[in-house]
Amino acid sequence: MPGEPTDEEIVRRTIAEKDAFAQLISRYEAKLGRYLERLGVGVREDREDILQNVFIKAYRNLNSFDPALSFSSWIYRIAHNEAMSFFRARRARPQVVLSEDSEFLMSELRDEHADSAGAAERRLSREELSRALAVIDSHYREVLILRFFDDRSYTEISDILQVPLGTVSTLIYRAKRALRAALPKTFSL
Amino acid sequence: MTDTSDQFVERVLNRIKIEGVHPRPRWEFLLKNYLFWAVGALAVALGAVAFSAALFEIENTTWRLYLVTHSDLFSFMLSVVPFLWILALAVFVLIGYFNIRHTKRGYRYPLSLIAIGAVLTSVTLGGALYAGGYGGQIEESIGSFPPFYRPILEQERNWWLNPTKGLLGGVVVSAASSSPLGFVLKDFSGHLWKIDASDLRGIDLTVLARGGMVRIVGVPIAGASASSTIFHACFVFPWRVFGLGAPALTPPIAIFSSSTERILSIARNSECRGIRPYKQLRTLDENGF
Repeated sequence: MPGEPTDEEIVRRTIAEKDAFAQLISRYEAKLGRYLERLGVGVREDREDILQNVFIKAYRNLNSFDPALSFSSWIYRIAHNEAMSFFRARRARPQVVLSEDSEFLMSELRDEHADSAGAAERRLSREELSRALAVIDSHYREVLILRFFDDRSYTEISDILQVPLGTVSTLIYRAKRALRAALPKTFSL
Repeated sequence: MTDTSDQFVERVLNRIKIEGVHPRPRWEFLLKNYLFWAVGALAVALGAVAFSAALFEIENTTWRLYLVTHSDLFSFMLSVVPFLWILALAVFVLIGYFNIRHTKRGYRYPLSLIAIGAVLTSVTLGGALYAGGYGGQIEESIGSFPPFYRPILEQERNWWLNPTKGLLGGVVVSAASSSPLGFVLKDFSGHLWKIDASDLRGIDLTVLARGGMVRIVGVPIAGASASSTIFHACFVFPWRVFGLGAPALTPPIAIFSSSTERILSIARNSECRGIRPYKQLRTLDENGF
């Protein structure tokens, strides 16, 4: 919004004045909460614990934030790392439950599905998509969520997952292929 | 969320206060980043050192005479392929790659670019070190430490300090006074040999007459005294050491007269024909070494 300070400006202010950090928490709490949910942190209390850790870590490491990159990518990176640590510690498989559709993903899959003849006319349900996302490789799931649910650009995904830009393209291509293979055989998009 | 947004913000700020969390100073992050760069650069530089030594070893190996010094190509390759330096280069390039990849923006570069960049930098710097004459110093000094490794010049000196097998290397110190076609050679153990050059072709004589380090394939002959032995030379090859800078110019040991030129057309005697591998040596000798 015009007149609102940018994330980078708030970071600078927070270094001098701790309470300014509240603005960043307010801006990212909901977004990161949804991101964690899509990654498969299914229990609300777990998500809140992870979120708290994300903001504490972000605060502790504020001076490592590189203003040449976006703050959003930086804090998403921290959230991503915390979620992965959570899954490792719990030795749990992510429970992917989508609370909204991604028309973007549907349209991408539709384009590539166009060649497939004989698919019965049936709308893909959110549950079916969630199940398919849950079974594919975690690298593929992460990149699909960032691209098609969080609307992140390739550069942002590169910064969040810390992989080269070219690798992001490859991952997205392979992830879509893996997702299509994991979807029910008969549905319309 | 179980909290409203304001409550959540409050809880986080309280935790920051209670746990006494403070932003870590900027210099810590800068230092960490610089350390990754420094270790990465150091590893690539050490890779260059290893490459210069490998280059020195490869350049100073007498590939064309392997059948003279070894029974087969495999045993020769085992002795001369610079495994130590190739391994060191690979390890340092990997360390360099890992560190550069972990710098602040290292992940943005394609993996292949970092890997190829690290290898090319090591190879280019290593080539420059070799060209500057440091490859040999590195190979000889560092190479003397591992118990399983012997520097290439030391290996070559040992192979060519084997007169009973017909291999003799050393420095031509003078022309022999007693014979018009004789030279005196000091081998690598300091022993003096009288080289009987009567059976040599012009090209071999030229090498001997120039002086300096040479390799001689021939037949030892029992000498008159214990301190000096006669070696009947059949083939002579120059021994150039590459990668140690330009050799000092020395005046020639002997200058040919017209009488020595006749030797060009004379075939070697039967003594020389018995040496192994005669045919290949002749080809090498005639085509230039």
